[in-house]
Amino acid sequence: MKKIGFFLGCNIPFNRPDVEYSARYMLNELGVEIVELEGAACCPAFGTMPSVDLVGWAAASAWNLSIAEEKGVDIITGCGSCYGSLNEARYHMEKHPEIKEQVNKILGKVGKEYKGTVKVWNFINFLYEEIGLDNLKSKIKYNLNGLKCAVQTGCHNLWPSRAYPTNEDNTFYPTRLREICEAMGGVAPHYSTITDCCGMGALRSAASEKSLALFKKKLDVIKEELNPDVTVTGCSSCLLQFDAGQALLVEQKKLDYKIPALHIVQVAAIAMGADVEKATAQASIPLNGVITKIKGGN
Amino acid sequence: MEEGGVNVIDLTQGDESFVKELEGLGADELRECIQCGKCGATCPMALAGLEFFIKRIVHAANLGLRDVLLEDSSVWGCQSCNRCVEICPMDIKPYEVIQALRRAAIKVESCPANTYEGLRNLYKFGHAVFPKGFEERRKKAGLPEKPPTALSYDELRKKYQEVLKQTILEEIAPFPLD
Repeated sequence: MKKIGFFLGCNIPFNRPDVEYSARYMLNELGVEIVELEGAACCPAFGTMPSVDLVGWAAASAWNLSIAEEKGVDIITGCGSCYGSLNEARYHMEKHPEIKEQVNKILGKVGKEYKGTVKVWNFINFLYEEIGLDNLKSKIKYNLNGLKCAVQTGCHNLWPSRAYPTNEDNTFYPTRLREICEAMGGVAPHYSTITDCCGMGALRSAASEKSLALFKKKLDVIKEELNPDVTVTGCSSCLLQFDAGQALLVEQKKLDYKIPALHIVQVAAIAMGADVEKATAQASIPLNGVITKIKGGN
Repeated sequence: MEEGGVNVIDLTQGDESFVKELEGLGADELRECIQCGKCGATCPMALAGLEFFIKRIVHAANLGLRDVLLEDSSVWGCQSCNRCVEICPMDIKPYEVIQALRRAAIKVESCPANTYEGLRNLYKFGHAVFPKGFEERRKKAGLPEKPPTALSYDELRKKYQEVLKQTILEEIAPFPLD
C-alpha cells in the first residue's frame, strides 16, 4: 500500500476542516495510507518566516520536512502556500549547502536532522502522476455527470517551477486539474483568465477591497465565458476566496450571482461516496445543485 | 503621490548601501534588472491597482530608495505568487527582492501589525493562521477538536519553539519568546 505524510498546514485544519475530512476520505478510498506528521507546524506561510530571514525560514520548514523523513514518507498538502513554502525552502537548502548546514546546526539542538530525502506533493500532481487518471476513474461511485467545472490551479501550485518536483508542461496553460475533473466525468474547459490570481493571501490582508475587486474581475470572466456549475480549486486559499470571499461580494451587493466552489479533494470525495455534510461542512455558497448533479451520475 | 500629480522619483534619495543590504538579504541578482517590465505585466498587485507593484519595486530597490520602500505598504501586499520569478528573462527573481525588502523592513519594525500577529501565532501555537472557533468547525466535519500537529503535542511544540528561538526571530520579535 502506498503511504503518504499528510501535511495539514493551518487553513485546512482550522478554517476548512471539511477539506481535511475530504482528503482523508479520498486517500483512503484510493488505497493510500495516511501517515500523520505528528508535531508538524505551519509551513511557514510567506508573510511570516520567509519575510524575516532565509535561514530561519529554511529551519522552520526543515522541522516539518524532517518529521516526514523520520517516518520515511513523502508529503502531500492541499494548500498552495504549504506546497510553495516547503518546496522553496527545500530548493534553497539544495542549492546552498551552507544554508542546510546552518539549519542542521539549529535542528541538531533539538535532536533533529534534515537530510533532504523527502518529496512534497500537491493533490493535483499526486492524483495525476501517482494515482493516475484511469485508476482515479475506477474508484468513483458517482461520475460527475457532465458537471461543468471552472478550474483554479492556484499560483503556488504552478510557480516557481524551478522549486517543484513535478509540474504542468506549460505553467501558463495548466491542464492537469481540468483533466482530473474530466476523468471523473466532468467538463472543464479552458477560459481566458485561468491563471489569474484569486486575490487571496497577502493582497487580501493588505488591500481587501482591491483584492475582492480583482477576484470579481476573474469571476465575471468565468461567468461570462463558462457559466459553470462549480469552480474547482487545487488550493485551500483559493477555495476561501472563491467561497467565503464570493459570499462577501454578494453580501456587499457587488455580485448578483453565485457560483459554488469546491477543492478538488472535496469533488473526488463526494464522487467516491463521502458524507456530503462533512465534506462540505464549511461551504458558504449553497452546493445543492452540484451535489444533485454528481449523485445523479453513475 | 498627490492626487492628480506626477509621481517623480527623487534620485538624490538613493542610498547605495541599501542596495547592498538587499543583495545580502536574498536579492543577489538585483543589479541585473533591465526594467523590461515582464514582471509588472503578470503581477497581481499591478492588476489590483497597487501603486507600487513588482516592476516599480525592483526599480526603486535598484535606486536604493530606502525610505520610499520601507514606508509604502505595497511590499506587504505581494501574493508571493512567483509569476515574476517564472517569467523574468534576467533571473532577478523579483519576488526574492520583495522578501529582501520585507527582511530589511522588519529589522526597523516597518511592517504591518498582522505580520507580528502571524509570527506570534507561529511561535505560540505552531500555526501562523490560528482562527477562533476551529474546534466547532472540526467537529462539524467529523474530525477531532485538535489536528495532530504541533498544537496537539506540547513537548514537540516546545522543541519547535526552541528551533525558532535560534533564528533571527529571537532578535526582532516584539513579543516574549519564552
